[in-house]
This record gives sequence, C-alpha cells and structure tokens, in this order.
Amino acid sequence: MMKQLFIKSYAICCPDAELLAPFGLLGSDIDKSLIPAAMRRRTSMTTRMAVTAAKLACTQANIDSQHLASVFASLGGEIQVTDALCRLLPDENELLSPTQFHNSVHNTTAGYWAILNKCQEASTAIAAADDTFAMGLIEVWSQLQQQGSGERLLVCYDEYWPQYLAPPIGLAAFACAFVLSTDAEQAIGSISLPQVSEQAEQSFPLEWLMLTESAPAAAVIPLLMALQQETQETVPLNIKTPIWSSCVSAREFEHGK
Amino acid sequence: MKNNQTLITPVAITAYSALSASGLGSEALYQSLAENHSELAPLSLFNVPFPAYVGEIKQPLLSICEELADYNCRNAQVALTALNDEQGGVRAAVETAKEKYGAHRIGVIIGTSTSGLYETEDAYGVLLDTGKMPDDFHFVTEHAYQATGRFVQLELGLTGVCFAISTACSSGAKAIAAGQRLINSGLCDAVLVGGVDTLCRLTLRGFRSLELVANQPCTPMDKNRQGISIGEAAGLMLLEKPHTDNAGKMKVLSVGESSDAHHMSTPHPEGEGAALAMRNALQLAGLQAESIDYLNLHATATKINDRMESRAVFSVFADAVPCSGTKGITGHTLGAAGALETIIALLALKHQFIPGTQGLQELDEECQCQVVKAPLSKQNMQIAMSNSFGFGGNNASVIVGL
Repeated sequence: MMKQLFIKSYAICCPDAELLAPFGLLGSDIDKSLIPAAMRRRTSMTTRMAVTAAKLACTQANIDSQHLASVFASLGGEIQVTDALCRLLPDENELLSPTQFHNSVHNTTAGYWAILNKCQEASTAIAAADDTFAMGLIEVWSQLQQQGSGERLLVCYDEYWPQYLAPPIGLAAFACAFVLSTDAEQAIGSISLPQVSEQAEQSFPLEWLMLTESAPAAAVIPLLMALQQETQETVPLNIKTPIWSSCVSAREFEHGK
Repeated sequence: MKNNQTLITPVAITAYSALSASGLGSEALYQSLAENHSELAPLSLFNVPFPAYVGEIKQPLLSICEELADYNCRNAQVALTALNDEQGGVRAAVETAKEKYGAHRIGVIIGTSTSGLYETEDAYGVLLDTGKMPDDFHFVTEHAYQATGRFVQLELGLTGVCFAISTACSSGAKAIAAGQRLINSGLCDAVLVGGVDTLCRLTLRGFRSLELVANQPCTPMDKNRQGISIGEAAGLMLLEKPHTDNAGKMKVLSVGESSDAHHMSTPHPEGEGAALAMRNALQLAGLQAESIDYLNLHATATKINDRMESRAVFSVFADAVPCSGTKGITGHTLGAAGALETIIALLALKHQFIPGTQGLQELDEECQCQVVKAPLSKQNMQIAMSNSFGFGGNNASVIVGL
C-alpha cells in the first residue's frame, strides 16, 4: 500500500477573490485566454473555472496534459445548464437546445478538457455531496495504487447555483486543481490516504465552514493552507461528520520548488 | 493508462441483480434475451410531444422507509427493488460481507446519468407556478448524483467509501472499474457497484433535440436504423476480493477506459476511443483478442454510434468475435447500461449462449464485425466483454469471466 501521494502543484480559480483573503490564499479569475473562443462560447462558468484551475496546475507542474488521466469531482457539476433546461420542461412544446442538453451531463468538463488537450486517457466525473473532495482523492489514490506509478489530475469545483435548489449551496463559486503523483521529485508536499477521523466540525474555523457550505469544493482549503504555510498537519477534507482527514506534509519537499 | 504494464487482479462477483423493462431479477432478463423478446413499448410514465418507445419498468417498486424519506424518488425505489430481489441475493450477500469484513470496509459506487431528475422536473413545474420549490423537494438527497448511492449505503448500514460516477452512458461500467480498483488497492474488501437510471423528460426531449430518438422500437446495427429507444434500469453487483470461498463465482477481469477527445455528443468517426477502451481492457486483463467469446455491443442504433463501433470492433477483433446489441430488448438504459449489459454478459457465460440483436432485420453492409441476429447456444464460453460509450467521448469496456 502506498504511504502517500505527492502533490506536484495546485491552482485555485475563484472569481470572487475576496473570498480567499481570510485564508491567505491567492486564486485566479477565469482565464479566457486558456480556452479557445469556440469552446468558450459553448461552455458554462463551471467548466471555464475548472479548466482554468486545471490548466494552471498542469503548467506549474510542467506536465504534459495530453497524457494525463483525470478525475473531476463536483457536487452539482453543470447546475446552471441543468437549471435552464429544467425551466423549459414544464411546457411540452418547448424545444431544448441540443448543445445545452449534451452540456448538462456531469462529465461535461471532463469531455471539454479531453478535447482541449487532445487527451485520450481515462477521465472520470464523480460526486459525493459533502464528501466530494475526499472521495476524489480516494479515487485518485486507488487509480495510482493500481497502476503502480504515475500522475493524475484532480479537479474539484462548484459554481453559483440558483438559491431555490439547496441554499446556501451555490452562493459562492470555487475551483481547485491538483497534479498528484506517486513520485516525490519536484513535489511541493505529500498527502496520506484519507481516513475517517475523530475530528468534529465544531472545532473548525467559521470562515471555512461558511464558505464550504456555499461552495462545497472549498473543502480543499485546509489542505491548501497547510501547503501554503509549509506545515505538517492533519487536515479535514469535508465539513460534516463523519470527517475524512489526511496528513499533509509540505516541509520536507521545500527543495523541490 | 497507456504506459500501464501492470495486470489487474480479478475480483469475484458474489451476487448480482437487475431490474429493467424485462422485470425483476437476472432470470427475467435472461428470459427476454433467450426469447429475443423486445420489452419496448410506448412511454406511459409521462407525456412527450412525439412518439417514443421506451424500456419502462412496469414492475411495482418498493417504498423508501420513513427514516430515509428525504431520499425518496423513483431512482432510489428502482435501486431498492433490485437490491431486495431475493433471487439475486445482493442484499443477503452484503449482510454476509458486513459480518466478514465490517461495514466500514464495504464501498458503494453507483453510476447514474440523471439520478432523481424525474422528481426535480415535477418540482420545477411547481416553482414556475408558485415561485417556490415544493416543501418535499430535497435537491441533495434526491437529485444530486450521489443520492441513490448514499441511499443504498444508509439502507444497508454501510460506512465505507461511497460516491457516484456520472459520465453519461458509461457511468455503470466505470462504477465497476472503480469498485475493482478499490478492492485491488486494499481500500475496500467488497464494493457494491452498479448503475441506476430512470426515465425523465430531460433525457427523452434532449435526445430528441439531437435527432437521435427513433419513432419505432430501435433496430441496432440495422441498415435502416433510426436512433435510440431510451430505457430505465438498475444493475447491481457485489464485488469481493478473491478468496477460496468465492473461487467458483464469476469475476470482473478488467475494465478498460479511454476518452475520445473528439466531440461532446458525436463519437470519433473511426471509433478510436472505443477501440482504445477495448484494447486497454484486454491489456489490463493480460488477454489477447481471441480470448473474448462474446461481445455485448454498446449498439445504441444511432447511425453514427453503430458505424463507429463496428469499425472499432473490427480494428480490435476483425470479424472473429460474436457480437450483439441488446438495446432492442431493454432500451438504452443510459447510466445503468454499463452495469445492466455487464450482467447480460454474465448471463451469456452462465447460460452458454450468445444473445441476439432484437430489431435487426438487415445488417448494415458497412458493419464488418460478426453481429448475431437471433440467440444461439455456444459451448465452452469463458470470457465476455461489454462496451459502453458516453457523451463527452467517455468510453469503458468491461471484461468478465467464468
């Protein structure tokens, strides 16, 4: 069994930069230059956020994204597209847009990412409500454990949602991408297998709880803060009991930067 | 996983069940296959403004218990009904596995494309009329992708890894892949995997907008095929780590995965991604193409899928493997198809027969692979493959063995 996965890079895309200030983190806005115009016109905010974070993480890791298998993790995925289609359905005579229909699937971002990078490697799209990030890490872990060695792209993201669906989910939008590897070279940190822990949500910082209730993908923030602060600690990966957690170690790889 | 030279260890399938338009249980499905009987009929669950033949579940569905009422939706009811199918024995097998391994060592990975969307559509009707969602609308526990998997986990009292895979029509096949990996990597001792998807307006009208829905029951691989007939189903299997106790059970040998990197809703015309998934599956299992005794095709009966798939199959197998498409019997069950059709591959091995391609009259002359029209017996079948390809160019091929 692998003892740890190595983090080669991470990148955040958060259109409302102020949300990150309390955590001392920096994020990028959606970078239109990373997505060709024809694709940009067809894609939703959620896909553009996720692709921005993924591109930036791949660039930082200096990795060939054409040969990188990927895991896309999101609670609601293309919720704005699905919402717009659902509003048309009560009228039997409304015609749906074929592009919007195929853009409503959960693996829309994964599909556009593959097209953008001409990547024929396996790509998956998962969801696990509040545990989505933790389960994304577990999926990456089992893929790399099975394969023996290699890299994976893990992207977690959630966009703005209409507030009649599941408030306060969707009040904030957030995407984060990691390049994870079985190899320590050039890594900025390492992470252990997610485990159910005794941690309780009452002990968590209120700013993080509130942001993650609004943008479930913000569950990654304690991990990002540990990397940013170059500490070694056990970080929670979700906000509702049972709490999944991992040990993060940033320090020993300082020279890898 | 191009550079992956490691072989994957098979996992045992200790129980499996299906619920589809054929009825409850894998034997009901076998009856439809053996008789090559189409279960497609005009849609009755709701109205759509065009003719639609579908594979609709007519079987009464079990009710969700009071404590899990927030999860109540057709998708969860379909999952529960398949889970409790006594002949399939999935629930009993999970109980045995719980005693053997502990509830925290058993994962639940369910594939779905639309989860509880059918009920969400009704809720939007109320929203547009009144400006408010109805009080009994619970987005996260009904509509969100993990809802059915989480319901099953709670219903069974399991506490391990649990997530949904939603990659459109390859979801159910990829859930099997994730389950096999979780066992092989030591993260779980057993994983309940499968696919569950139910009819809803969005998929019927969405596929119609793409001009992919047939006016008649679908006719896979036929020269005059007109498109798909949508269906609904649950396909569930309990995967367990190999052990002397389960040595006699059928096995998942491997799942090959790939991306087309071509278009969101149109497959690569030469079937590059589809062929890559089949080759990856063979490579992971350490098998040659000749080892496959039967291939259950994705065969949606759209012009473009069946053409590209026959090219992909020919590029991997030439015309050496008997193939059939079974969506003329069950309909295209979308996110459940990968699991349901893997169960069809298991039934082919169990009963030593090749299912037919219901609806096929005259084979498309462009199709060079060996498509079987009517069911036939075949001896010494050991290994079968099932293909699933989804929107986003998301492909998976499952290999199962006796």
